[in-house]
Amino acid sequence: MTIAPTDLDSVRRPVAQANGLPNAHYIDPAVFAEEREALLFSQWAGLAVAADVPENGDAKPITFLGMPLLLLRGRDGAVRVFQNICRHRGMILVEEARKIEGAIRCPYHSWCYGSDGRLVSTPHVGGPGHNTHEAIDRSTLGLIEVRSHIWRDVVWINVSGDAPEFEDAMSDVMTRWAEFEKPLYHGGADSTITMEVQTNWKLAVENFCESYHLPWVHPGLNSYSRLEDHYNIEEPGAYSGQGTLVYRQVTNENGDPFPDFEGISDKWDTAAEYIAAYPNVLLGVHRDQAFAIVLLPEGPGKTVEHIHLYYSQPKTDSGLRQRNTQLWKTVFEEDIFVVEGMQRGRYASGFDGGRFSPAMDSPTHCFHDWVASKIQTHRSLSDAAE
Amino acid sequence: MKALDDMLLAAHEAGDRPALVGLYAQAAETVNDMDAACFYLTHAYVFALELGDRRATALHARLKAEGREA
Repeated sequence: MTIAPTDLDSVRRPVAQANGLPNAHYIDPAVFAEEREALLFSQWAGLAVAADVPENGDAKPITFLGMPLLLLRGRDGAVRVFQNICRHRGMILVEEARKIEGAIRCPYHSWCYGSDGRLVSTPHVGGPGHNTHEAIDRSTLGLIEVRSHIWRDVVWINVSGDAPEFEDAMSDVMTRWAEFEKPLYHGGADSTITMEVQTNWKLAVENFCESYHLPWVHPGLNSYSRLEDHYNIEEPGAYSGQGTLVYRQVTNENGDPFPDFEGISDKWDTAAEYIAAYPNVLLGVHRDQAFAIVLLPEGPGKTVEHIHLYYSQPKTDSGLRQRNTQLWKTVFEEDIFVVEGMQRGRYASGFDGGRFSPAMDSPTHCFHDWVASKIQTHRSLSDAAE
Repeated sequence: MKALDDMLLAAHEAGDRPALVGLYAQAAETVNDMDAACFYLTHAYVFALELGDRRATALHARLKAEGREA
Protein backbone atom coordinates (compact mmCIF):
# COMPACT_ATOMS: atom_id res chain seq x y z
CA MET A 1 0.00 0.00 0.00
CA THR A 2 1.33 3.44 -0.88
CA ILE A 3 0.35 6.39 1.27
CA ALA A 4 1.07 10.05 0.77
CA PRO A 5 3.29 10.91 3.72
CA THR A 6 2.03 13.61 6.05
CA ASP A 7 4.00 16.84 6.26
CA LEU A 8 5.82 16.92 9.60
CA ASP A 9 8.12 19.87 9.03
CA SER A 10 5.87 22.31 10.86
CA VAL A 11 5.65 19.93 13.81
CA ARG A 12 9.41 20.04 14.23
CA ARG A 13 9.70 23.82 14.51
CA PRO A 14 10.35 25.38 17.94
CA VAL A 15 7.24 25.35 20.10
CA ALA A 16 6.39 29.00 19.47
CA GLN A 17 6.20 28.41 15.73
CA ALA A 18 5.16 24.77 15.58
CA ASN A 19 1.89 23.17 14.68
CA GLY A 20 0.67 20.00 16.28
CA LEU A 21 0.52 16.72 14.42
CA PRO A 22 -1.79 16.69 11.38
CA ASN A 23 -5.27 15.19 11.68
CA ALA A 24 -4.26 12.07 9.77
CA HIS A 25 -2.10 11.00 12.73
CA TYR A 26 -5.27 10.54 14.74
CA ILE A 27 -7.85 9.26 12.29
CA ASP A 28 -6.20 7.68 9.24
CA PRO A 29 -5.78 3.88 9.39
CA ALA A 30 -2.78 4.05 7.03
CA VAL A 31 -0.96 6.50 9.31
CA PHE A 32 -1.97 4.39 12.31
CA ALA A 33 -0.25 1.41 10.64
CA GLU A 34 2.81 3.54 9.93
CA GLU A 35 2.95 4.67 13.56
CA ARG A 36 2.55 1.10 14.76
CA GLU A 37 5.89 0.32 13.16
CA ALA A 38 7.67 3.63 13.78
CA LEU A 39 6.47 4.47 17.29
CA LEU A 40 5.44 1.22 18.96
CA PHE A 41 6.95 -1.94 17.45
CA SER A 42 10.40 -0.43 16.96
CA GLN A 43 10.59 1.22 20.40
CA TRP A 44 10.22 -0.05 23.97
CA ALA A 45 6.45 0.08 24.38
CA GLY A 46 4.40 -0.79 27.42
CA LEU A 47 2.35 -3.98 27.15
CA ALA A 48 1.15 -4.80 30.66
CA VAL A 49 2.39 -4.96 34.23
CA ALA A 50 4.08 -7.92 35.86
CA ALA A 51 1.34 -7.86 38.49
CA ASP A 52 -1.03 -9.05 35.75
CA VAL A 53 0.58 -12.48 36.17
CA PRO A 54 1.30 -12.55 39.91
CA GLU A 55 1.88 -16.30 40.36
CA ASN A 56 4.14 -18.78 38.63
CA GLY A 57 2.30 -20.34 35.71
CA ASP A 58 -0.08 -17.41 35.24
CA ALA A 59 -0.69 -16.66 31.56
CA LYS A 60 -2.52 -13.73 30.05
CA PRO A 61 -3.16 -13.33 26.33
CA ILE A 62 -2.94 -9.73 25.15
CA THR A 63 -3.56 -8.42 21.65
CA PHE A 64 -1.07 -5.64 21.00
CA LEU A 65 -1.85 -3.63 17.87
CA GLY A 66 -3.40 -6.71 16.31
CA MET A 67 -0.54 -9.02 17.29
CA PRO A 68 -1.52 -11.91 19.58
CA LEU A 69 0.91 -12.03 22.50
CA LEU A 70 1.10 -14.10 25.66
CA LEU A 71 2.33 -12.69 28.96
CA LEU A 72 3.57 -15.63 30.98
CA ARG A 73 5.21 -16.06 34.37
CA GLY A 74 7.18 -19.27 34.15
CA ARG A 75 7.75 -21.80 36.87
CA ASP A 76 11.10 -20.10 37.41
CA GLY A 77 9.25 -16.90 38.29
CA ALA A 78 10.51 -15.03 35.22
CA VAL A 79 7.99 -12.97 33.28
CA ARG A 80 8.30 -13.43 29.52
CA VAL A 81 6.33 -12.37 26.47
CA PHE A 82 5.73 -14.74 23.58
CA GLN A 83 3.79 -14.62 20.37
CA ASN A 84 0.63 -16.50 21.31
CA ILE A 85 0.80 -18.99 18.46
CA CYS A 86 1.77 -22.60 17.90
CA ARG A 87 4.84 -23.08 15.72
CA HIS A 88 2.98 -25.79 13.83
CA ARG A 89 -0.06 -24.16 12.23
CA GLY A 90 -0.11 -20.74 13.81
CA MET A 91 -3.08 -21.57 16.01
CA ILE A 92 -3.80 -19.30 18.97
CA LEU A 93 -2.57 -21.15 22.04
CA VAL A 94 -4.19 -19.42 25.01
CA GLU A 95 -7.60 -17.80 24.58
CA GLU A 96 -8.13 -16.37 28.07
CA ALA A 97 -6.12 -15.61 31.19
CA ARG A 98 -5.50 -18.80 33.15
CA LYS A 99 -3.01 -20.82 35.12
CA ILE A 100 -0.68 -23.10 33.16
CA GLU A 101 -0.43 -26.14 35.43
CA GLY A 102 2.08 -28.07 33.37
CA ALA A 103 2.51 -27.37 29.68
CA ILE A 104 0.73 -25.17 27.17
CA ARG A 105 -1.07 -27.58 24.85
CA CYS A 106 -2.12 -26.30 21.47
CA PRO A 107 -5.83 -27.06 21.14
CA TYR A 108 -5.39 -28.04 17.47
CA HIS A 109 -2.84 -30.90 17.24
CA SER A 110 -1.63 -30.80 20.87
CA TRP A 111 1.94 -29.67 20.38
CA CYS A 112 3.05 -28.77 23.91
CA TYR A 113 5.25 -25.97 25.22
CA GLY A 114 6.85 -25.45 28.60
CA SER A 115 6.20 -22.27 30.56
CA ASP A 116 9.64 -21.13 29.43
CA GLY A 117 8.57 -21.47 25.79
CA ARG A 118 10.39 -24.72 24.94
CA LEU A 119 8.62 -27.11 22.58
CA VAL A 120 8.36 -30.25 24.69
CA SER A 121 6.05 -32.57 22.79
CA THR A 122 4.96 -33.09 19.20
CA PRO A 123 2.41 -35.90 19.32
CA HIS A 124 2.13 -38.11 16.25
CA VAL A 125 4.43 -35.82 14.28
CA GLY A 126 6.15 -38.86 12.78
CA GLY A 127 2.87 -40.75 12.30
CA PRO A 128 0.43 -42.29 14.80
CA GLY A 129 2.25 -43.07 18.01
CA HIS A 130 5.54 -41.66 16.71
CA ASN A 131 6.19 -38.36 18.43
CA THR A 132 9.45 -37.35 16.80
CA HIS A 133 10.58 -36.81 13.24
CA GLU A 134 14.03 -35.96 11.99
CA ALA A 135 12.68 -32.91 10.18
CA ILE A 136 11.22 -31.45 13.35
CA ASP A 137 13.97 -30.05 15.56
CA ARG A 138 12.17 -29.11 18.75
CA SER A 139 15.08 -26.98 19.91
CA THR A 140 14.43 -24.54 17.06
CA LEU A 141 10.64 -24.51 17.38
CA GLY A 142 9.98 -23.02 20.79
CA LEU A 143 7.51 -20.21 21.23
CA ILE A 144 8.65 -17.01 19.55
CA GLU A 145 9.79 -14.77 22.36
CA VAL A 146 9.32 -11.01 22.18
CA ARG A 147 12.13 -8.96 23.65
CA SER A 148 10.95 -7.63 26.98
CA HIS A 149 12.12 -5.79 30.06
CA ILE A 150 10.46 -4.97 33.37
CA TRP A 151 10.90 -1.56 34.95
CA ARG A 152 8.60 -0.05 37.55
CA ASP A 153 6.62 -3.29 37.18
CA VAL A 154 5.71 -2.33 33.60
CA VAL A 155 6.41 -5.02 31.02
CA TRP A 156 8.02 -3.16 28.13
CA ILE A 157 8.43 -4.88 24.79
CA ASN A 158 10.43 -4.22 21.67
CA VAL A 159 8.65 -6.16 18.95
CA SER A 160 11.16 -5.37 16.21
CA GLY A 161 13.97 -6.64 18.43
CA ASP A 162 16.45 -4.01 17.32
CA ALA A 163 15.95 -1.11 19.72
CA PRO A 164 18.90 -0.15 21.95
CA GLU A 165 19.12 -1.96 25.29
CA PHE A 166 16.28 -0.87 27.58
CA GLU A 167 18.60 0.76 30.11
CA ASP A 168 20.14 2.84 27.33
CA ALA A 169 16.86 3.75 25.69
CA MET A 170 15.30 4.78 29.02
CA SER A 171 18.44 6.04 30.76
CA ASP A 172 17.23 9.64 31.06
CA VAL A 173 14.04 8.90 32.91
CA MET A 174 15.68 6.12 34.95
CA THR A 175 18.32 8.59 36.07
CA ARG A 176 15.77 11.26 36.88
CA TRP A 177 13.87 8.89 39.13
CA ALA A 178 16.81 6.92 40.47
CA GLU A 179 15.64 7.72 44.00
CA PHE A 180 12.50 5.70 43.37
CA GLU A 181 14.29 2.48 42.45
CA LYS A 182 12.56 0.72 45.34
CA PRO A 183 10.36 -2.34 45.51
CA LEU A 184 6.87 -1.51 44.25
CA TYR A 185 3.84 -3.37 45.56
CA HIS A 186 0.71 -3.41 43.45
CA GLY A 187 -2.35 -2.63 45.53
CA GLY A 188 -4.22 -5.59 44.04
CA ALA A 189 -7.66 -5.83 42.49
CA ASP A 190 -8.88 -2.66 44.18
CA SER A 191 -5.95 -0.71 42.74
CA THR A 192 -6.56 -1.38 39.07
CA ILE A 193 -8.66 0.82 36.83
CA THR A 194 -9.43 0.02 33.21
CA MET A 195 -10.95 2.65 30.96
CA GLU A 196 -11.91 2.27 27.32
CA VAL A 197 -11.81 5.65 25.62
CA GLN A 198 -12.78 6.66 22.11
CA THR A 199 -9.57 8.46 21.32
CA ASN A 200 -6.22 8.03 19.69
CA TRP A 201 -3.60 6.88 22.20
CA LYS A 202 -1.42 9.94 21.55
CA LEU A 203 -4.13 12.30 22.80
CA ALA A 204 -4.06 10.48 26.13
CA VAL A 205 -0.28 11.03 26.25
CA GLU A 206 -0.64 14.68 25.32
CA ASN A 207 -3.30 15.40 27.91
CA PHE A 208 -1.24 13.67 30.59
CA CYS A 209 1.89 15.65 29.74
CA GLU A 210 0.64 19.13 30.50
CA SER A 211 -0.69 20.95 33.53
CA TYR A 212 -2.34 23.72 31.49
CA HIS A 213 -5.74 22.03 31.63
CA LEU A 214 -5.76 21.22 35.33
CA PRO A 215 -7.69 24.22 36.69
CA TRP A 216 -10.33 23.88 33.99
CA VAL A 217 -10.81 20.15 33.79
CA HIS A 218 -9.92 19.21 37.37
CA PRO A 219 -11.34 22.11 39.40
CA GLY A 220 -11.19 19.97 42.52
CA LEU A 221 -7.42 20.25 42.44
CA ASN A 222 -7.54 24.06 42.59
CA SER A 223 -7.98 24.19 46.34
CA TYR A 224 -4.48 22.90 46.96
CA SER A 225 -2.75 22.42 43.63
CA ARG A 226 -2.85 25.60 41.62
CA LEU A 227 -1.43 26.02 38.17
CA GLU A 228 1.53 28.02 39.44
CA ASP A 229 2.50 25.12 41.69
CA HIS A 230 3.31 23.00 38.63
CA TYR A 231 6.32 22.87 36.37
CA ASN A 232 7.03 21.42 32.95
CA ILE A 233 9.28 18.40 32.50
CA GLU A 234 10.96 17.91 29.15
CA GLU A 235 13.71 15.66 27.93
CA PRO A 236 13.66 15.94 24.13
CA GLY A 237 13.72 12.57 22.45
CA ALA A 238 12.87 10.69 25.63
CA TYR A 239 10.02 11.88 27.83
CA SER A 240 7.98 14.83 29.01
CA GLY A 241 5.47 15.60 31.68
CA GLN A 242 4.74 17.82 34.61
CA GLY A 243 5.55 18.13 38.26
CA THR A 244 3.79 19.58 41.27
CA LEU A 245 5.27 21.26 44.31
CA VAL A 246 2.26 20.79 46.55
CA TYR A 247 1.48 17.09 46.62
CA ARG A 248 -0.79 16.33 49.53
CA GLN A 249 -1.03 12.82 50.89
CA VAL A 250 -4.37 11.05 51.09
CA THR A 251 -5.21 9.84 54.61
CA ASN A 252 -7.62 7.46 56.28
CA GLU A 253 -10.23 8.34 58.92
CA ASN A 254 -7.49 8.51 61.55
CA GLY A 255 -5.40 10.89 59.50
CA ASP A 256 -2.82 8.25 58.64
CA PRO A 257 -1.29 8.30 55.17
CA PHE A 258 0.31 5.43 53.25
CA PRO A 259 3.88 4.69 54.38
CA ASP A 260 6.60 6.51 52.46
CA PHE A 261 9.14 4.95 50.15
CA GLU A 262 12.25 4.76 52.29
CA GLY A 263 15.32 6.85 51.68
CA ILE A 264 13.96 9.40 49.23
CA SER A 265 15.07 13.01 49.61
CA ASP A 266 13.18 15.86 51.29
CA LYS A 267 12.30 17.30 47.91
CA TRP A 268 9.57 14.68 47.67
CA ASP A 269 7.88 15.75 50.91
CA THR A 270 5.60 17.92 48.81
CA ALA A 271 6.68 17.19 45.22
CA ALA A 272 5.31 14.65 42.77
CA GLU A 273 6.04 14.06 39.11
CA TYR A 274 4.09 12.69 36.18
CA ILE A 275 5.99 11.58 33.13
CA ALA A 276 5.01 10.13 29.77
CA ALA A 277 7.74 7.63 28.95
CA TYR A 278 7.42 7.55 25.18
CA PRO A 279 5.63 6.01 23.48
CA ASN A 280 2.71 4.76 25.57
CA VAL A 281 3.43 4.55 29.29
CA LEU A 282 2.36 7.22 31.76
CA LEU A 283 4.06 7.12 35.13
CA GLY A 284 3.59 8.98 38.40
CA VAL A 285 5.72 9.07 41.54
CA HIS A 286 4.91 10.41 44.99
CA ARG A 287 6.49 9.96 48.41
CA ASP A 288 4.00 7.24 49.33
CA GLN A 289 2.53 5.87 46.10
CA ALA A 290 3.16 5.47 42.40
CA PHE A 291 1.15 4.60 39.35
CA ALA A 292 1.67 3.23 35.90
CA ILE A 293 -0.75 3.64 33.01
CA VAL A 294 -0.27 1.46 29.97
CA LEU A 295 -2.10 2.74 26.90
CA LEU A 296 -3.07 -0.04 24.54
CA PRO A 297 -4.15 1.34 21.16
CA GLU A 298 -6.99 -0.63 19.58
CA GLY A 299 -7.37 1.50 16.48
CA PRO A 300 -6.92 5.10 15.38
CA GLY A 301 -9.82 6.21 17.56
CA LYS A 302 -9.89 3.70 20.39
CA THR A 303 -7.56 3.18 23.35
CA VAL A 304 -7.76 1.09 26.49
CA GLU A 305 -6.06 2.64 29.51
CA HIS A 306 -4.79 0.15 32.09
CA ILE A 307 -4.12 2.03 35.33
CA HIS A 308 -2.24 0.41 38.21
CA LEU A 309 -1.57 1.88 41.66
CA TYR A 310 1.48 0.89 43.72
CA TYR A 311 2.64 1.34 47.28
CA SER A 312 5.86 1.07 49.25
CA GLN A 313 4.79 -1.97 51.27
CA PRO A 314 2.95 -5.17 50.42
CA LYS A 315 0.24 -4.70 53.03
CA THR A 316 -1.58 -1.38 53.23
CA ASP A 317 -4.87 -0.13 54.66
CA SER A 318 -7.49 -1.49 52.25
CA GLY A 319 -9.98 1.28 53.03
CA LEU A 320 -7.35 3.89 52.30
CA ARG A 321 -6.38 2.08 49.12
CA GLN A 322 -9.95 2.06 47.91
CA ARG A 323 -10.32 5.73 48.73
CA ASN A 324 -7.14 6.51 46.83
CA THR A 325 -8.28 4.48 43.84
CA GLN A 326 -11.55 6.40 43.78
CA LEU A 327 -9.72 9.74 43.93
CA TRP A 328 -7.56 8.82 40.94
CA LYS A 329 -10.52 7.34 39.08
CA THR A 330 -12.35 10.63 39.44
CA VAL A 331 -9.38 12.57 38.07
CA PHE A 332 -8.83 10.21 35.15
CA GLU A 333 -12.53 10.12 34.28
CA GLU A 334 -12.58 13.92 34.21
CA ASP A 335 -10.09 13.70 31.34
CA ILE A 336 -12.23 11.45 29.14
CA PHE A 337 -14.36 14.17 27.59
CA VAL A 338 -11.31 16.16 26.50
CA VAL A 339 -9.42 13.29 24.90
CA GLU A 340 -12.60 12.11 23.18
CA GLY A 341 -13.52 15.68 22.20
CA MET A 342 -10.09 16.30 20.68
CA GLN A 343 -10.42 13.03 18.77
CA ARG A 344 -13.73 14.10 17.23
CA GLY A 345 -12.13 17.47 16.50
CA ARG A 346 -9.55 15.75 14.27
CA TYR A 347 -12.27 15.21 11.68
CA ALA A 348 -12.47 18.99 11.08
CA SER A 349 -10.55 19.37 7.83
CA GLY A 350 -9.57 22.94 8.66
CA PHE A 351 -7.66 21.97 11.78
CA ASP A 352 -3.96 22.43 11.10
CA GLY A 353 -2.67 20.57 14.16
CA GLY A 354 -3.20 23.64 16.31
CA ARG A 355 -0.84 26.15 17.87
CA PHE A 356 0.78 25.73 21.24
CA SER A 357 1.17 27.97 24.25
CA PRO A 358 4.95 28.34 24.31
CA ALA A 359 4.78 28.67 28.10
CA MET A 360 2.39 25.85 28.91
CA ASP A 361 2.39 23.34 26.05
CA SER A 362 6.04 22.55 25.59
CA PRO A 363 5.73 19.02 27.10
CA THR A 364 3.12 18.25 24.43
CA HIS A 365 5.30 19.74 21.72
CA CYS A 366 8.21 17.68 23.04
CA PHE A 367 6.11 14.55 22.47
CA HIS A 368 5.02 15.67 19.00
CA ASP A 369 8.61 16.38 18.06
CA TRP A 370 9.58 12.86 19.19
CA VAL A 371 6.70 11.36 17.18
CA ALA A 372 7.68 13.33 14.09
CA SER A 373 11.36 12.47 14.40
CA LYS A 374 10.66 8.73 14.75
CA ILE A 375 8.30 8.75 11.79
CA GLN A 376 10.80 10.67 9.66
CA THR A 377 13.49 8.16 10.58
CA HIS A 378 11.14 5.29 9.75
CA ARG A 379 10.29 6.84 6.39
CA SER A 380 13.93 7.41 5.49
CA LEU A 381 14.75 3.78 6.36
CA SER A 382 11.79 2.60 4.29
CA ASP A 383 12.89 4.76 1.35
CA ALA A 384 16.44 3.44 1.60
CA ALA A 385 15.16 -0.14 1.55
CA GLU A 386 13.21 0.40 -1.68
CA MET B 1 -13.50 -51.79 25.06
CA LYS B 2 -16.95 -50.32 24.48
CA ALA B 3 -17.14 -49.32 28.13
CA LEU B 4 -13.69 -47.74 27.93
CA ASP B 5 -14.66 -45.87 24.78
CA ASP B 6 -17.74 -44.55 26.52
CA MET B 7 -15.69 -43.45 29.50
CA LEU B 8 -13.17 -41.72 27.23
CA LEU B 9 -15.92 -39.87 25.39
CA ALA B 10 -17.51 -38.85 28.67
CA ALA B 11 -14.19 -37.61 30.04
CA HIS B 12 -13.59 -35.60 26.85
CA GLU B 13 -17.08 -34.20 27.09
CA ALA B 14 -16.52 -33.19 30.70
CA GLY B 15 -13.00 -31.86 30.05
CA ASP B 16 -11.83 -34.21 32.79
CA ARG B 17 -8.16 -34.35 31.88
CA PRO B 18 -6.95 -36.25 34.97
CA ALA B 19 -9.36 -38.99 34.00
CA LEU B 20 -8.17 -38.89 30.39
CA VAL B 21 -4.61 -39.62 31.49
CA GLY B 22 -5.70 -42.80 33.22
CA LEU B 23 -8.20 -43.88 30.59
CA TYR B 24 -5.78 -43.48 27.68
CA ALA B 25 -3.09 -45.33 29.59
CA GLN B 26 -5.66 -48.06 30.23
CA ALA B 27 -6.57 -48.12 26.53
CA ALA B 28 -2.92 -48.73 25.68
CA GLU B 29 -3.11 -51.98 27.65
CA THR B 30 -6.05 -53.26 25.61
CA VAL B 31 -4.27 -53.43 22.24
CA ASN B 32 -1.55 -55.74 20.98
CA ASP B 33 -0.20 -53.48 18.25
CA MET B 34 2.72 -51.27 19.39
CA ASP B 35 1.72 -48.32 17.18
CA ALA B 36 -1.79 -48.41 18.58
CA ALA B 37 -0.49 -48.72 22.13
CA CYS B 38 1.86 -45.79 21.65
CA PHE B 39 -0.96 -43.79 20.12
CA TYR B 40 -2.92 -44.13 23.34
CA LEU B 41 0.14 -43.64 25.53
CA THR B 42 0.88 -40.44 23.65
CA HIS B 43 -2.55 -39.09 24.48
CA ALA B 44 -2.13 -40.05 28.11
CA TYR B 45 1.29 -38.40 28.15
CA VAL B 46 0.12 -35.16 26.51
CA PHE B 47 -2.74 -34.67 28.93
CA ALA B 48 -0.45 -35.47 31.85
CA LEU B 49 2.09 -33.00 30.52
CA GLU B 50 -0.57 -30.31 30.22
CA LEU B 51 -1.72 -30.90 33.76
CA GLY B 52 1.73 -31.08 35.28
CA ASP B 53 0.61 -34.53 36.44
CA ARG B 54 3.43 -36.65 37.86
CA ARG B 55 2.28 -39.62 35.72
CA ALA B 56 3.88 -37.78 32.78
CA THR B 57 7.35 -38.96 33.84
CA ALA B 58 6.53 -42.66 33.60
CA LEU B 59 4.54 -42.24 30.40
CA HIS B 60 7.41 -40.35 28.81
CA ALA B 61 9.81 -43.10 29.86
CA ARG B 62 7.63 -45.77 28.24
CA LEU B 63 7.34 -43.83 25.00
CA LYS B 64 11.04 -43.07 24.95
CA ALA B 65 11.88 -46.71 25.54
CA GLU B 66 9.90 -47.56 22.43
CA GLY B 67 11.71 -44.84 20.45
CA ARG B 68 8.55 -42.77 20.22
CA GLU B 69 9.55 -39.72 22.23
CA ALA B 70 12.67 -37.60 22.58
